[in-house]
Amino acid sequence: MKTAFYERHLSLGAKIVEFSGWEMPVSYKGVIQEHRAVREDAGLFDVSHMGRVVIQGAEAALFLDYLSTNEIAGKKNGTATYTVWCTSEGGSVDDLIIYKVNPEEFHVVLNAGNREKDLEHLNRMSQGWEVAIEPRFQDGIIALQGPRALEILSSYIPEAKKLKPMTFQPVMYRGKDLIISGTGYTGSGGCEVFGPSLPLTELWDALIAEGVEPIGLGARDTLRLEMGYALYGHELSEQIAPTESVSAWTVKMEKKEFLGKDALKLLPHPRKAYGIVLKDAGIAREGYPVYKSGVPIGRVTSGTMSPSLKKAIALVLVEGNLEEGENLEVDIRGRRAAAEVVALPFWRQKR
Amino acid sequence: MKYTESHEWIEVQGKTGTVGVTDYAQKELGDIVYVELPVAGKKLRAGDEVAVLESTKAAADIYSPVSGTIIEINPALSASSGLINESPQDKGWIFKIELDQPEELNQLMDEDQYLKSVH
Repeated sequence: MKTAFYERHLSLGAKIVEFSGWEMPVSYKGVIQEHRAVREDAGLFDVSHMGRVVIQGAEAALFLDYLSTNEIAGKKNGTATYTVWCTSEGGSVDDLIIYKVNPEEFHVVLNAGNREKDLEHLNRMSQGWEVAIEPRFQDGIIALQGPRALEILSSYIPEAKKLKPMTFQPVMYRGKDLIISGTGYTGSGGCEVFGPSLPLTELWDALIAEGVEPIGLGARDTLRLEMGYALYGHELSEQIAPTESVSAWTVKMEKKEFLGKDALKLLPHPRKAYGIVLKDAGIAREGYPVYKSGVPIGRVTSGTMSPSLKKAIALVLVEGNLEEGENLEVDIRGRRAAAEVVALPFWRQKR
Repeated sequence: MKYTESHEWIEVQGKTGTVGVTDYAQKELGDIVYVELPVAGKKLRAGDEVAVLESTKAAADIYSPVSGTIIEINPALSASSGLINESPQDKGWIFKIELDQPEELNQLMDEDQYLKSVH
Protein backbone atom coordinates (compact mmCIF):
# COMPACT_ATOMS: atom_id res chain seq x y z
CA MET A 1 0.00 0.00 0.00
CA LYS A 2 1.04 3.59 -0.55
CA THR A 3 0.07 6.74 1.31
CA ALA A 4 -1.06 9.91 -0.47
CA PHE A 5 2.51 11.21 0.04
CA TYR A 6 4.29 8.39 -1.83
CA GLU A 7 5.17 10.37 -4.96
CA ARG A 8 6.47 13.17 -2.76
CA HIS A 9 8.78 10.77 -0.93
CA LEU A 10 10.19 9.60 -4.26
CA SER A 11 10.77 13.11 -5.54
CA LEU A 12 12.52 14.00 -2.26
CA GLY A 13 14.96 11.15 -2.93
CA ALA A 14 13.67 8.81 -0.22
CA LYS A 15 14.87 5.25 0.09
CA ILE A 16 11.65 3.24 0.28
CA VAL A 17 11.13 0.12 2.39
CA GLU A 18 8.16 -2.11 3.05
CA PHE A 19 6.77 -1.57 6.55
CA SER A 20 3.67 -3.47 7.72
CA GLY A 21 2.53 -3.71 4.10
CA TRP A 22 3.21 -0.03 3.33
CA GLU A 23 5.81 1.42 0.98
CA MET A 24 7.35 3.97 3.34
CA PRO A 25 10.44 6.21 3.33
CA VAL A 26 13.17 4.81 5.60
CA SER A 27 15.38 7.87 5.04
CA TYR A 28 15.86 10.82 2.72
CA LYS A 29 19.29 12.35 3.40
CA GLY A 30 20.44 9.96 6.14
CA VAL A 31 19.17 8.78 9.50
CA ILE A 32 21.65 10.75 11.63
CA GLN A 33 21.06 14.04 9.79
CA GLU A 34 17.29 13.57 10.03
CA HIS A 35 17.52 12.64 13.71
CA ARG A 36 19.47 15.85 14.41
CA ALA A 37 16.98 17.98 12.48
CA VAL A 38 14.18 16.82 14.82
CA ARG A 39 16.26 17.23 18.00
CA GLU A 40 17.55 20.69 17.08
CA ASP A 41 14.95 22.24 14.79
CA ALA A 42 11.99 20.44 13.20
CA GLY A 43 11.22 17.49 10.97
CA LEU A 44 8.20 16.36 8.97
CA PHE A 45 6.91 12.77 8.98
CA ASP A 46 4.29 11.03 6.87
CA VAL A 47 2.57 8.69 9.32
CA SER A 48 -0.55 8.11 7.24
CA HIS A 49 0.05 4.36 7.53
CA MET A 50 -1.29 4.58 11.07
CA GLY A 51 -5.03 4.08 11.25
CA ARG A 52 -7.59 6.43 12.74
CA VAL A 53 -10.93 5.11 13.96
CA VAL A 54 -13.84 7.16 15.29
CA ILE A 55 -15.88 5.68 18.12
CA GLN A 56 -19.19 7.31 18.95
CA GLY A 57 -22.20 6.54 21.10
CA ALA A 58 -23.75 6.91 24.54
CA GLU A 59 -21.38 4.28 25.99
CA ALA A 60 -18.24 5.27 24.06
CA ALA A 61 -16.38 6.47 27.19
CA LEU A 62 -17.18 3.37 29.24
CA PHE A 63 -16.46 1.05 26.33
CA LEU A 64 -12.98 2.50 25.67
CA ASP A 65 -12.30 2.64 29.41
CA TYR A 66 -13.07 -1.09 29.58
CA LEU A 67 -10.69 -1.85 26.68
CA SER A 68 -7.85 0.31 27.99
CA THR A 69 -5.23 -0.30 30.69
CA ASN A 70 -5.06 3.47 31.25
CA GLU A 71 -7.94 5.65 32.47
CA ILE A 72 -10.04 7.06 29.65
CA ALA A 73 -13.56 7.85 30.87
CA GLY A 74 -12.58 10.56 33.36
CA LYS A 75 -10.30 12.50 31.00
CA LYS A 76 -11.13 16.06 29.95
CA ASN A 77 -12.56 16.80 26.52
CA GLY A 78 -9.77 17.73 24.10
CA THR A 79 -7.10 15.55 25.73
CA ALA A 80 -5.11 12.67 24.28
CA THR A 81 -4.18 9.61 26.36
CA TYR A 82 -1.59 6.93 25.59
CA THR A 83 -2.74 3.45 26.52
CA VAL A 84 -2.31 -0.26 25.82
CA TRP A 85 -5.15 -2.62 24.94
CA CYS A 86 -4.92 -6.09 26.47
CA THR A 87 -6.26 -9.46 25.50
CA SER A 88 -8.22 -11.36 28.15
CA GLU A 89 -5.01 -13.41 28.64
CA GLY A 90 -2.99 -10.27 29.43
CA GLY A 91 -1.08 -10.03 26.14
CA SER A 92 -0.91 -6.68 24.36
CA VAL A 93 -3.27 -6.12 21.41
CA ASP A 94 -1.73 -2.74 20.56
CA ASP A 95 -0.52 0.51 22.06
CA LEU A 96 -2.32 3.60 20.88
CA ILE A 97 -3.49 7.12 21.63
CA ILE A 98 -7.12 7.83 22.44
CA TYR A 99 -8.46 11.34 21.74
CA LYS A 100 -11.50 12.41 23.72
CA VAL A 101 -13.66 14.86 21.76
CA ASN A 102 -16.51 14.55 24.26
CA PRO A 103 -17.93 11.70 26.38
CA GLU A 104 -19.75 10.35 23.31
CA GLU A 105 -17.04 10.78 20.68
CA PHE A 106 -13.46 9.50 20.66
CA HIS A 107 -10.77 9.02 18.02
CA VAL A 108 -8.14 6.33 18.35
CA VAL A 109 -4.88 6.16 16.37
CA LEU A 110 -3.54 2.66 15.81
CA ASN A 111 -0.25 1.17 14.70
CA ALA A 112 0.01 0.48 10.95
CA GLY A 113 0.61 -3.23 11.41
CA ASN A 114 -2.36 -3.64 13.76
CA ARG A 115 -5.07 -1.64 11.98
CA GLU A 116 -7.15 -4.55 10.79
CA LYS A 117 -6.58 -6.62 13.92
CA ASP A 118 -7.57 -3.68 16.16
CA LEU A 119 -10.66 -2.93 14.09
CA GLU A 120 -11.71 -6.56 14.46
CA HIS A 121 -11.00 -6.36 18.21
CA LEU A 122 -13.14 -3.20 18.47
CA ASN A 123 -15.99 -4.73 16.48
CA ARG A 124 -15.93 -7.98 18.44
CA MET A 125 -15.68 -6.33 21.85
CA SER A 126 -18.38 -3.75 21.07
CA GLN A 127 -21.13 -6.42 21.01
CA GLY A 128 -23.64 -5.34 23.62
CA TRP A 129 -22.25 -1.80 23.97
CA GLU A 130 -24.04 1.26 22.63
CA VAL A 131 -21.22 2.38 20.33
CA ALA A 132 -20.61 2.83 16.60
CA ILE A 133 -17.18 2.18 15.13
CA GLU A 134 -16.11 3.95 11.97
CA PRO A 135 -12.62 3.55 10.46
CA ARG A 136 -11.13 6.64 8.80
CA PHE A 137 -8.26 4.79 7.16
CA GLN A 138 -8.49 6.90 4.01
CA ASP A 139 -7.41 10.04 5.93
CA GLY A 140 -3.82 11.18 6.18
CA ILE A 141 -1.65 11.92 9.21
CA ILE A 142 1.52 14.01 9.26
CA ALA A 143 3.74 14.76 12.24
CA LEU A 144 5.80 17.93 12.61
CA GLN A 145 8.21 17.29 15.46
CA GLY A 146 11.00 19.24 17.11
CA PRO A 147 11.59 22.30 19.29
CA ARG A 148 10.58 24.68 16.46
CA ALA A 149 7.68 22.59 15.13
CA LEU A 150 4.77 24.54 16.67
CA GLU A 151 6.29 27.90 15.80
CA ILE A 152 6.70 26.80 12.16
CA LEU A 153 3.17 25.38 11.94
CA SER A 154 1.61 28.47 13.49
CA SER A 155 2.21 30.51 10.32
CA TYR A 156 -0.22 28.13 8.56
CA ILE A 157 -2.42 27.18 11.49
CA PRO A 158 -2.33 29.96 14.14
CA GLU A 159 -3.84 27.70 16.84
CA ALA A 160 -0.64 25.62 16.79
CA LYS A 161 1.21 28.33 18.68
CA LYS A 162 -0.65 27.61 21.92
CA LEU A 163 -1.10 23.88 21.47
CA LYS A 164 -0.29 22.05 24.72
CA PRO A 165 1.22 18.56 24.94
CA MET A 166 -1.38 15.77 24.95
CA THR A 167 -4.23 18.07 23.92
CA PHE A 168 -5.88 18.47 20.52
CA GLN A 169 -8.31 20.74 18.72
CA PRO A 170 -10.17 21.07 15.44
CA VAL A 171 -8.78 23.72 13.08
CA MET A 172 -9.45 25.00 9.56
CA TYR A 173 -6.80 24.95 6.85
CA ARG A 174 -7.62 26.01 3.27
CA GLY A 175 -11.30 25.67 4.05
CA LYS A 176 -11.05 22.09 5.31
CA ASP A 177 -11.41 20.64 8.80
CA LEU A 178 -8.24 19.25 10.32
CA ILE A 179 -7.25 18.20 13.82
CA ILE A 180 -3.97 19.25 15.39
CA SER A 181 -2.73 17.41 18.44
CA GLY A 182 0.23 17.89 20.74
CA THR A 183 1.36 14.30 20.35
CA GLY A 184 4.22 12.47 18.68
CA TYR A 185 6.82 9.75 18.98
CA THR A 186 10.07 11.68 19.32
CA GLY A 187 10.22 13.41 22.74
CA SER A 188 11.18 16.69 21.08
CA GLY A 189 7.73 18.30 21.15
CA GLY A 190 5.61 19.28 18.19
CA CYS A 191 2.34 17.98 16.87
CA GLU A 192 0.48 15.63 14.61
CA VAL A 193 -2.09 16.78 12.04
CA PHE A 194 -5.03 14.59 11.03
CA GLY A 195 -7.40 15.02 8.12
CA PRO A 196 -8.17 14.34 4.47
CA SER A 197 -5.19 13.94 2.11
CA LEU A 198 -6.23 17.25 0.61
CA PRO A 199 -5.25 19.70 2.11
CA LEU A 200 -2.65 17.71 4.11
CA THR A 201 -0.48 17.22 1.02
CA GLU A 202 -0.63 21.00 0.43
CA LEU A 203 0.47 21.64 4.00
CA TRP A 204 3.30 19.12 3.49
CA ASP A 205 4.40 20.91 0.29
CA ALA A 206 4.37 24.30 2.01
CA LEU A 207 6.48 23.03 4.92
CA ILE A 208 8.97 21.31 2.60
CA ALA A 209 9.21 24.46 0.46
CA GLU A 210 10.03 26.37 3.63
CA GLY A 211 12.99 24.06 4.19
CA VAL A 212 11.61 21.68 6.84
CA GLU A 213 13.46 18.34 6.63
CA PRO A 214 11.40 15.26 5.78
CA ILE A 215 12.11 12.41 8.21
CA GLY A 216 11.97 8.68 7.47
CA LEU A 217 11.21 5.62 9.55
CA GLY A 218 14.90 5.11 10.35
CA ALA A 219 15.15 8.31 12.38
CA ARG A 220 11.64 7.78 13.73
CA ASP A 221 13.03 4.60 15.32
CA THR A 222 16.23 6.15 16.75
CA LEU A 223 14.20 9.09 18.10
CA ARG A 224 11.63 6.92 19.86
CA LEU A 225 14.29 4.58 21.19
CA GLU A 226 16.23 7.44 22.81
CA MET A 227 13.01 8.20 24.68
CA GLY A 228 12.51 4.56 25.67
CA TYR A 229 9.13 4.46 23.92
CA ALA A 230 7.69 1.06 23.04
CA LEU A 231 7.39 -0.10 19.44
CA TYR A 232 4.67 -2.70 19.04
CA GLY A 233 6.11 -6.01 17.89
CA HIS A 234 9.30 -5.33 19.84
CA GLU A 235 8.60 -4.05 23.38
CA LEU A 236 4.93 -5.09 23.27
CA SER A 237 3.19 -8.05 21.65
CA GLU A 238 0.54 -10.67 22.33
CA GLN A 239 3.36 -12.46 24.23
CA ILE A 240 4.49 -9.40 26.20
CA ALA A 241 2.08 -7.97 28.77
CA PRO A 242 1.94 -4.18 29.14
CA THR A 243 3.05 -4.59 32.77
CA GLU A 244 6.25 -6.25 31.49
CA SER A 245 7.05 -3.35 29.15
CA VAL A 246 8.32 0.22 29.18
CA SER A 247 4.61 1.13 28.92
CA ALA A 248 3.85 -0.43 32.32
CA TRP A 249 3.10 3.06 33.67
CA THR A 250 -0.10 3.15 31.59
CA VAL A 251 -1.57 0.20 33.48
CA LYS A 252 -3.87 1.48 36.21
CA MET A 253 -4.49 -1.58 38.35
CA GLU A 254 -6.64 0.57 40.67
CA LYS A 255 -9.25 0.80 37.89
CA LYS A 256 -12.28 -1.21 38.84
CA GLU A 257 -12.23 -3.24 35.67
CA PHE A 258 -10.54 -3.47 32.29
CA LEU A 259 -10.06 -6.25 29.76
CA GLY A 260 -7.06 -8.32 30.81
CA LYS A 261 -6.84 -6.98 34.37
CA ASP A 262 -7.43 -10.36 36.03
CA ALA A 263 -4.83 -12.03 33.80
CA LEU A 264 -2.27 -9.29 34.56
CA LYS A 265 -2.78 -9.82 38.30
CA LEU A 266 -2.07 -13.54 37.90
CA LEU A 267 0.75 -13.36 35.35
CA PRO A 268 2.88 -16.39 36.31
CA HIS A 269 6.45 -15.16 35.70
CA PRO A 270 6.30 -11.46 34.97
CA ARG A 271 9.40 -10.02 33.31
CA LYS A 272 10.52 -6.39 33.39
CA ALA A 273 11.80 -3.90 30.83
CA TYR A 274 14.94 -1.81 31.37
CA GLY A 275 17.20 0.51 29.43
CA ILE A 276 20.87 -0.34 29.05
CA VAL A 277 23.90 1.45 27.65
CA LEU A 278 26.80 -0.54 26.23
CA LYS A 279 30.18 0.12 27.81
CA ASP A 280 32.07 -2.01 25.29
CA ALA A 281 32.11 -1.34 21.56
CA GLY A 282 29.32 -2.70 19.40
CA ILE A 283 25.56 -2.43 19.09
CA ALA A 284 23.05 -4.63 20.90
CA ARG A 285 20.37 -5.61 18.38
CA GLU A 286 16.92 -7.10 18.88
CA GLY A 287 17.05 -10.73 20.03
CA TYR A 288 20.59 -10.66 21.43
CA PRO A 289 20.78 -12.57 24.76
CA VAL A 290 21.36 -10.62 27.99
CA TYR A 291 23.34 -12.03 30.93
CA LYS A 292 23.85 -11.06 34.55
CA SER A 293 26.92 -12.54 36.23
CA GLY A 294 27.11 -15.08 33.42
CA VAL A 295 23.49 -16.25 33.82
CA PRO A 296 21.03 -15.63 30.96
CA ILE A 297 18.21 -13.35 32.16
CA GLY A 298 16.52 -12.16 28.97
CA ARG A 299 17.01 -10.48 25.62
CA VAL A 300 17.26 -7.19 23.78
CA THR A 301 13.93 -5.97 22.34
CA SER A 302 15.33 -2.94 20.44
CA GLY A 303 18.81 -1.48 20.16
CA THR A 304 20.66 1.13 18.16
CA MET A 305 23.49 3.63 18.23
CA SER A 306 21.98 6.74 19.79
CA PRO A 307 22.76 9.69 17.51
CA SER A 308 22.26 12.16 20.40
CA LEU A 309 24.36 10.30 22.99
CA LYS A 310 26.76 8.64 20.52
CA LYS A 311 26.45 5.49 22.62
CA ALA A 312 24.86 2.13 21.90
CA ILE A 313 21.53 1.98 23.74
CA ALA A 314 19.00 -0.83 24.05
CA LEU A 315 15.77 -1.85 25.71
CA VAL A 316 15.86 -5.30 27.32
CA LEU A 317 13.18 -7.67 28.63
CA VAL A 318 14.51 -9.68 31.59
CA GLU A 319 13.51 -11.87 34.49
CA GLY A 320 14.01 -10.43 37.97
CA ASN A 321 14.59 -6.89 39.17
CA LEU A 322 17.58 -4.78 38.18
CA GLU A 323 19.02 -1.64 39.75
CA GLU A 324 20.28 1.43 37.94
CA GLY A 325 24.05 1.14 37.51
CA GLU A 326 23.99 -2.64 37.62
CA ASN A 327 26.38 -4.41 35.23
CA LEU A 328 25.10 -6.79 32.56
CA GLU A 329 26.53 -8.44 29.47
CA VAL A 330 25.04 -8.68 26.00
CA ASP A 331 26.02 -11.48 23.65
CA ILE A 332 26.93 -9.72 20.40
CA ARG A 333 27.38 -12.50 17.86
CA GLY A 334 29.34 -14.66 20.30
CA ARG A 335 31.21 -11.86 22.09
CA ARG A 336 30.13 -10.73 25.59
CA ALA A 337 29.92 -6.93 25.67
CA ALA A 338 29.64 -5.09 29.00
CA ALA A 339 26.52 -2.99 29.58
CA GLU A 340 25.00 -0.95 32.38
CA VAL A 341 21.38 -0.48 33.46
CA VAL A 342 20.33 3.19 33.13
CA ALA A 343 17.21 5.23 33.85
CA LEU A 344 14.75 5.96 31.04
CA PRO A 345 14.48 8.04 28.99
CA PHE A 346 18.02 7.72 27.65
CA TRP A 347 17.87 11.35 26.51
CA ARG A 348 15.84 14.45 27.39
CA GLN A 349 15.07 17.56 25.28
CA LYS A 350 16.39 20.77 26.87
CA ARG A 351 13.48 23.15 27.27
CA MET B 1 39.11 -2.89 -9.09
CA LYS B 2 37.13 -6.15 -8.83
CA TYR B 3 33.75 -6.73 -7.21
CA THR B 4 31.82 -9.46 -5.38
CA GLU B 5 28.12 -10.29 -5.45
CA SER B 6 28.06 -9.40 -1.75
CA HIS B 7 29.14 -5.81 -2.61
CA GLU B 8 32.80 -5.82 -1.59
CA TRP B 9 35.48 -4.35 -3.85
CA ILE B 10 39.15 -5.34 -3.98
CA GLU B 11 42.01 -3.40 -5.54
CA VAL B 12 45.21 -5.43 -5.98
CA GLN B 13 48.76 -4.14 -6.23
CA GLY B 14 51.37 -6.87 -6.41
CA LYS B 15 50.28 -9.48 -3.87
CA THR B 16 48.36 -7.07 -1.65
CA GLY B 17 44.65 -6.44 -1.99
CA THR B 18 42.78 -3.52 -0.39
CA VAL B 19 39.13 -4.35 0.42
CA GLY B 20 36.09 -2.23 1.13
CA VAL B 21 32.37 -2.03 0.34
CA THR B 22 30.87 -0.46 -2.75
CA ASP B 23 29.12 2.86 -3.01
CA TYR B 24 25.92 0.97 -3.75
CA ALA B 25 26.31 -1.02 -0.50
CA GLN B 26 26.92 2.03 1.68
CA LYS B 27 23.85 3.72 0.21
CA GLU B 28 21.76 0.64 0.93
CA LEU B 29 23.05 0.41 4.51
CA GLY B 30 22.67 4.09 5.33
CA ASP B 31 24.68 5.78 8.07
CA ILE B 32 27.36 3.41 9.33
CA VAL B 33 27.84 3.96 13.05
CA TYR B 34 30.20 1.16 14.06
CA VAL B 35 32.53 -1.32 12.38
CA GLU B 36 33.54 -4.57 14.00
CA LEU B 37 37.03 -4.91 12.55
CA PRO B 38 39.14 -8.03 12.12
CA VAL B 39 42.68 -8.32 13.50
CA ALA B 40 45.84 -8.29 11.43
CA GLY B 41 47.41 -11.74 11.05
CA LYS B 42 44.08 -13.51 10.63
CA LYS B 43 43.99 -16.08 7.84
CA LEU B 44 40.89 -16.13 5.64
CA ARG B 45 39.38 -18.20 2.87
CA ALA B 46 37.46 -16.47 0.10
CA GLY B 47 33.89 -15.93 1.32
CA ASP B 48 34.76 -15.95 5.04
CA GLU B 49 33.05 -13.40 7.27
CA VAL B 50 35.62 -10.80 8.12
CA ALA B 51 33.93 -7.68 9.52
CA VAL B 52 30.52 -6.36 10.48
CA LEU B 53 29.15 -2.96 9.48
CA GLU B 54 26.55 -1.62 11.86
CA SER B 55 24.23 1.01 10.43
CA THR B 56 21.57 2.92 12.36
CA LYS B 57 19.18 0.19 11.28
CA ALA B 58 20.96 -3.16 11.04
CA ALA B 59 24.18 -5.15 11.03
CA ALA B 60 25.70 -6.34 7.74
CA ASP B 61 28.43 -8.94 7.33
CA ILE B 62 31.44 -8.27 5.15
CA TYR B 63 33.04 -11.24 3.39
CA SER B 64 36.58 -11.58 2.15
CA PRO B 65 36.66 -11.59 -1.67
CA VAL B 66 39.83 -13.71 -1.67
CA SER B 67 41.89 -16.11 0.45
CA GLY B 68 44.93 -14.85 2.31
CA THR B 69 46.24 -13.19 5.46
CA ILE B 70 45.06 -9.84 6.79
CA ILE B 71 48.05 -7.51 7.00
CA GLU B 72 46.48 -4.17 7.89
CA ILE B 73 43.22 -2.69 9.20
CA ASN B 74 42.11 0.84 8.31
CA PRO B 75 43.00 2.64 11.56
CA ALA B 76 40.68 5.58 10.80
CA LEU B 77 37.50 3.49 10.98
CA SER B 78 37.43 2.86 14.73
CA ALA B 79 37.06 6.60 15.36
CA SER B 80 35.05 7.53 12.25
CA SER B 81 33.09 4.70 10.69
CA GLY B 82 31.23 7.35 8.65
CA LEU B 83 34.26 7.34 6.30
CA ILE B 84 32.65 4.31 4.68
CA ASN B 85 29.65 6.48 3.75
CA GLU B 86 31.75 9.47 2.72
CA SER B 87 34.41 7.64 0.72
CA PRO B 88 33.46 3.97 0.38
CA GLN B 89 35.89 3.13 -2.43
CA ASP B 90 38.87 5.13 -1.21
CA LYS B 91 39.37 6.48 2.34
CA GLY B 92 36.76 4.10 3.73
CA TRP B 93 38.71 0.93 2.85
CA ILE B 94 38.39 -1.75 5.54
CA PHE B 95 41.41 -4.08 5.42
CA LYS B 96 44.43 -5.14 3.38
CA ILE B 97 45.06 -8.77 2.63
CA GLU B 98 48.04 -10.67 1.25
CA LEU B 99 46.63 -12.93 -1.43
CA ASP B 100 47.27 -16.68 -1.27
CA GLN B 101 45.65 -17.45 -4.62
CA PRO B 102 45.66 -14.44 -6.97
CA GLU B 103 43.83 -16.54 -9.57
CA GLU B 104 40.70 -16.18 -7.38
CA LEU B 105 40.42 -12.65 -8.77
CA ASN B 106 39.26 -14.15 -12.06
CA GLN B 107 36.07 -15.31 -10.33
CA LEU B 108 35.14 -11.72 -9.41
CA MET B 109 33.20 -9.18 -11.45
CA ASP B 110 34.68 -6.19 -13.20
CA GLU B 111 33.08 -2.78 -12.79
CA ASP B 112 30.71 -3.09 -15.77
CA GLN B 113 29.45 -6.48 -14.62
CA TYR B 114 29.01 -5.26 -11.05
CA LEU B 115 27.14 -2.09 -11.99
CA LYS B 116 24.84 -4.13 -14.23
CA SER B 117 24.19 -6.56 -11.38
CA VAL B 118 22.92 -3.86 -9.04
CA HIS B 119 20.79 -1.95 -11.55
